[in-house]
Amino acid sequence: MSQAPVARLQNVTKRIGGRTIIDRVSLDVYPGEVFGFLGPNGSGKTTTIRMMVGLMSLTSGDISIGGHSVRTEYPRAAEQVGAIVENPEMYKFLTGYQNLVHFARMNSSVTKERIDEVVKLVGLSGRIHDKVKKYSLGMRQRLGVAQAVMHRPKLLILDEPTNGLDPAGIRELRDYLRQLAREEGISVFVSSHLLSEMELMCDRVAILQKGQIIDIRSIRGQAGEAVQQTEEALFDVDRPEAALGALQGEWSGYVADGRLVLSADRNAIAEANRRLVEAGIRVYGIRAKTKSLEDQFLEVTGSETND
Amino acid sequence: MTNFWKLVQNENMKIYRRAATLIMLGFVVFIPILVTVGFVLLSDGADVNMWEMMQLQTMIVFILITIFTVVKSADSVAGEFSSGTIKLLLIRPWSRSTILLSKFLALLLFALLLSAICFVVSWGVNALLLGYEANPGGLIPPTSPMAGGSPWAYMLTYYLYEWIVLVVIVSFAFMLSAAFRSGGLAIGLSIFILLSGSLITGILGSMDKPWVKYVLFSNLDLTSYLSGGAPLPGRGMTLGFSLAVLAAYFIVFNLVSWTVFRKRDVAA
Ligand SMILES: Nc1ncnc2c1ncn2[C@@H]1O[C@H](COP(=O)(O)OP(=O)(O)OP(=O)(O)O)[C@@H](O)[C@H]1O
Ligand SMILES: [Mg+2]
Repeated sequence: MSQAPVARLQNVTKRIGGRTIIDRVSLDVYPGEVFGFLGPNGSGKTTTIRMMVGLMSLTSGDISIGGHSVRTEYPRAAEQVGAIVENPEMYKFLTGYQNLVHFARMNSSVTKERIDEVVKLVGLSGRIHDKVKKYSLGMRQRLGVAQAVMHRPKLLILDEPTNGLDPAGIRELRDYLRQLAREEGISVFVSSHLLSEMELMCDRVAILQKGQIIDIRSIRGQAGEAVQQTEEALFDVDRPEAALGALQGEWSGYVADGRLVLSADRNAIAEANRRLVEAGIRVYGIRAKTKSLEDQFLEVTGSETND
Repeated sequence: MTNFWKLVQNENMKIYRRAATLIMLGFVVFIPILVTVGFVLLSDGADVNMWEMMQLQTMIVFILITIFTVVKSADSVAGEFSSGTIKLLLIRPWSRSTILLSKFLALLLFALLLSAICFVVSWGVNALLLGYEANPGGLIPPTSPMAGGSPWAYMLTYYLYEWIVLVVIVSFAFMLSAAFRSGGLAIGLSIFILLSGSLITGILGSMDKPWVKYVLFSNLDLTSYLSGGAPLPGRGMTLGFSLAVLAAYFIVFNLVSWTVFRKRDVAA
């Protein structure tokens, strides 16, 4: 992508009490993209987001939003950001509407009409004049989204936004986020530990583990459909070890359950098959196995949390 | 950027849209009324000067006003941390110092409002029930630097001195709230300072140490200068000296609040 990034994280590092919680994280978020920030519990998603919105200082590295560093020009950077960090905690003794008025006063661009518009958008019209203490978690989440998008930020940062939403709410939010990105060119940076969710709404995801980015990849093609990433092929052969030896050097693979497993795409499978036959190995069957993002995620992060 | 006044408006909204605040306002309105009505009913027509009654009521109500403002200061920052709303407040296009300033200003306006209500209600009920007097009666002691002056000037000065002390105590509470994020500590310690002030001043007064007059407690009774005395007699303390000491404490408390609040990570 050639456009200037909306958010740029460069070697962001956070140490607390001698422990490195975020370790040289670098990534760019481009205009109009939904960027997923995926990691198991305790991997540092919230900490990174806190640094992006100025709640935490950086130990080293820099974060710029729309070209303005959060370290040196915080108000300029913050003008372009709307966010929910962890739970959307609102003033419980105020009504939903008063909460929105409160945050609207802190950004110059929000008019009364705009407040009414976002209230309708998040589907809270009927309850907006109730005190927030009477809201359910899902309603507070919706109010959280309303305060985050009210001033039409260039970058929307959401920390596990589907937490507490019912399936219909999750779906609405997902559609809404994609619509914001597509129609208004807003970039969305969304964290989650749920892969299935990320697969459905993100263009790209970064996978975070123990404070380090271990992978950044696209999960949607140009047309917007989910693209399949790497593929594995299972070869059912008579002598798997010998087969592996015959392919050594060109393909990486291993033997599992008496079968040869190769990482290879369609063409490579055909080529590998030819080699095996030439080497005198009997091939009884070939099965392509597509890895879902979930498999890849579990593979890179392991199933344990890293706290 | 929008104007700073909107931030103060937000803080005002958070102060006044709470039931507890209405109860506080109620106390400030009804205590002077109850005291005067009670006095008129029970005193069998004893003659008391309205200004003397007003000063008595001001003394009582000002302790309450200070406590109320301390409670609001504790809530102002520490409360945002405990409710988690601090996160949504600090991600706006404003520096942390500006946000803190808007909070401090709203608290001082709150104290100012309560003081004004106290003055108006107490003056009104006493003028009405005890009769208006242009003569200060026993309000101004003969030793006072304002002896022979008008009761209005004396009373307003009295309020001013009480208010200066309030600002210093509230700065202390605000520091505990903003820098240490502990509302309980802010309320507890500040009210301790307020209520044990005269006791500790007495103990300090009996000590023969030169540093005693620089202690905060020894300078909290500014109104003693109005009656021609000093908080600690015989140590050469003057009004100017006490004001300078209070100013120093004010600066230190606020420096700590601002420095810590600007730097510390919000991990709540
Ligand atoms: N204030 C703090 N002081 C010390 N360590 C902290 C602090 N905040 C977070 N951590 C540690 O930093 C690591 C990352 O925490 P963080 O909350 O960013 O994870 P997360 O990816 O958001 O997890 P989750 O999915 O559970 O929300 C954790 O190991 C946590 O214990
Ligand atoms: Mg988190």
